[in-house]
Amino acid sequence: MPILECKDLRKSFGDLVAVNGVTFEIANGETYGLLGPNGAGKTTTIRCLLGLVRPSAGGCRLLGADAPGGLPSVVGRVGSIVETPLLYPRFSGRRNLELLGAIAGVGPSRVRQVLERVGLAERGDDQVRTYSLGMRQRLGIGAALLKDPELLILDEPANGLDPAGIVEVRELLRSLGHEGRTVFVSSHILSEVQHTADHVAILSAGRAVAVGPVGEVLRAGRSEGLLVRVDDLAAGLRALAEAGIAAATDDGLLRVELPATGAATVTKALADSGQYLSELRPDEADLETVFLELTRGTEEGAR
Amino acid sequence: MSRLLWVEFRRFGARRLVRVTALLALGGIAFGTFIAYTEQFRLASMPDVPLGTAFPLVVIGWLLGASFIGAEWHAGTVTTLLTWEPRRIRVLFAKAIAGVVSVFVITMLLQVVLAASLSLAASLNGSTAGSEGWLSETAAIALRVSALATLAGAIGFAFAAVGRNTAAALGAGFAYVVVIENLVRGLKPEWSAWLFGENAGVFLLGPSNDFPFVDRSQLGAGIYLSLLAATLLAVATLVFRTRDVN
Repeated sequence: MPILECKDLRKSFGDLVAVNGVTFEIANGETYGLLGPNGAGKTTTIRCLLGLVRPSAGGCRLLGADAPGGLPSVVGRVGSIVETPLLYPRFSGRRNLELLGAIAGVGPSRVRQVLERVGLAERGDDQVRTYSLGMRQRLGIGAALLKDPELLILDEPANGLDPAGIVEVRELLRSLGHEGRTVFVSSHILSEVQHTADHVAILSAGRAVAVGPVGEVLRAGRSEGLLVRVDDLAAGLRALAEAGIAAATDDGLLRVELPATGAATVTKALADSGQYLSELRPDEADLETVFLELTRGTEEGAR
Repeated sequence: MSRLLWVEFRRFGARRLVRVTALLALGGIAFGTFIAYTEQFRLASMPDVPLGTAFPLVVIGWLLGASFIGAEWHAGTVTTLLTWEPRRIRVLFAKAIAGVVSVFVITMLLQVVLAASLSLAASLNGSTAGSEGWLSETAAIALRVSALATLAGAIGFAFAAVGRNTAAALGAGFAYVVVIENLVRGLKPEWSAWLFGENAGVFLLGPSNDFPFVDRSQLGAGIYLSLLAATLLAVATLVFRTRDVN
């Protein structure tokens, strides 16, 4: 049984279609990334999952319970943050967590543990309004962890963090995944997801344009190829064309339309024509490239 | 529900506005006591005191009730709370109960402090003559004043819950009191039987010629105001249950 699923989820606000038929599911223990540019529908999807907004059509299930009707029976096993964590600015971080924890019967000792885990033990007694955005974000993650949840739903957890903070959150997400928790994280910071998620869904203009394991999405988003550096690009291109190998120039290199197993063929074709390569490597697509390619069409269509 | 209620009481008590309001009220009481001391206050006139405090206490009730939920909407903490307790009716009821009970307790305590201070002033530099029965009479009026402040708090809470903003509730209250009530009194005086102000007057003072169109007893006016507050809270609950939280 999936821990979390959205089935043909749709949400409109008047004429604006924020989420348009999104379907995906998350298995137990997975770390799942929801990617998309700003306005793609990530936060609305998460709000639907948490019962904050009602879907116009389709539905969501968390831990086997329908959202929003069944949420009360499972909310104790779900930790979440939605956008920038919204806490009482004039209360201390500790007091905020204690008040939230009191709703679920979580005591002060757990609050202490969580503050230590998110690196706020020393600032726990300061008012939240004195916190930086990054500290608020960490406090929000702390609030999500208070219930020791099976399922974590984190909306843009690295928002506002500096590079060191982003690495910290990435490590935290990784460790949460290793603890066997199911982590569902939305982000527009792709490295954050590429390094932590097993599966991804890429949203663009309210639609899921790619869903699946990270490797598959990377492969599907860009054809396999090899990047070759030679001194004379034109001569290299000619040599490859004579050998029947499709290639093109790409940012000072030759991009050859062959999988990594074709490296020997390329080397031979170039050497036979007196062109000696100084670099040969697989053209590995990263999530950013795939993301940009996948979202460009739908974003332009939406405009 | 009891955990949620306990949390809401703690939140109410920790609010800065509550503390500042209480401090200002205590400052007012101290000043009033000083005036009473210098003017040789008579204990027999104590029952008139709660009537004099009714208006500010009703305003305090309205403000505290409205801001209790309005500030949550403003800060966005309603979103956070609903991710911990998705049963919206429970959330709103817990807040409403904590808000109105706290308003009642605070306004009663302020009146008790005022009455005690004035009694001391009367005994030190005033008169206690002819003051038999002042305590029960004063207590009855003070209870009605606090009940009225509580109802105002409930109505303010309902307005702010629907408007998702304290300012919206305060603005609506001001517009109602200044514009609507005066328009009704001037243009359709027979409708004034349904106004908050007239019924509040009857509830505090009993039927009198000051409220010629209100054909209700003191209890009847109290029941009418309670029904009004309950209806507005029911509307707020319905809206809170059905509207998206963005």
